[in-house]
Amino acid sequence: MALDVEGLATQMLGAALPILKKNAQNARSFARVEFAKIAQTIVSIADQLATGEINQQQAVLLLSMQTSASRNVLLTLQGLALLAVEEAINAALGVVKTVVNTAVGFSLIA
Amino acid sequence: MVSCGSILDLYRFRQQLRAQRLAICAALIAAVLGTLALSGCRVKAIGDYDDAIDNGITDVQQRAELYFSRLQSTPSTPFDQNFYDDINSRLAVLKSRASSLPMYPIIVEQIGNLKTEFDTFQKLDKDAPRPIQSAIVRDAESAVTVSVESILTLELALKRGVTRPPTLPTKNK
Repeated sequence: MALDVEGLATQMLGAALPILKKNAQNARSFARVEFAKIAQTIVSIADQLATGEINQQQAVLLLSMQTSASRNVLLTLQGLALLAVEEAINAALGVVKTVVNTAVGFSLIA
Repeated sequence: MVSCGSILDLYRFRQQLRAQRLAICAALIAAVLGTLALSGCRVKAIGDYDDAIDNGITDVQQRAELYFSRLQSTPSTPFDQNFYDDINSRLAVLKSRASSLPMYPIIVEQIGNLKTEFDTFQKLDKDAPRPIQSAIVRDAESAVTVSVESILTLELALKRGVTRPPTLPTKNK
């Protein structure tokens, strides 16, 4: 039995896209909350420097901590993106599993 | 002049070669795909959940919050080197563990960044006169909290099906 390339591609895309969209929304929610905290702290640092609560050296060090925290937020987004891609690819393979395995005559896709 | 017989022989020889090449290619493809099928053929892009990392990072945060709280409630609390030695050793162990886990480079880097934050706060803490400004403690605590939440969000997501924990609300200044 010949495999229909276009049909398979449509099915795989149909399985993968909702997963990618859902994970993008989750990642966006996480990033929004965490970057809001970082932004608020950066503004606080500037205010504290202006009022003399902290000095310049302290402001620089506190800002470097915020920068490091921002890096960790971005790294988490990178990790969540990898998970999303993984889930999407496995869903795409899963949706065409029966058709492909039947066509080739053995369990090519487990 | 080339005879019809020799042209025919050449054609048959080329057909034979083509058939042999196709057979070899099909065998190679079947072997590769068979290996994929035997190995489960599931794509994996990042490592698995590790409860030692989860619990370890949570433990580090707990110890840090205790120290931050002490500095906030009693700003004359002296600089405590033991706190930093303890945190550093715990993070070093966690980083070693993460480094030994497959497909874990992201969390390894995140733990490294968290350690850098504690190193920076150590300098701030050591150099700050007492009573320490609450703003310094608050701002540092915020950075550590964001980093811990980032690591835990990813770590828990590696369970592949567990929803991420709710993030802590922003403190009112």
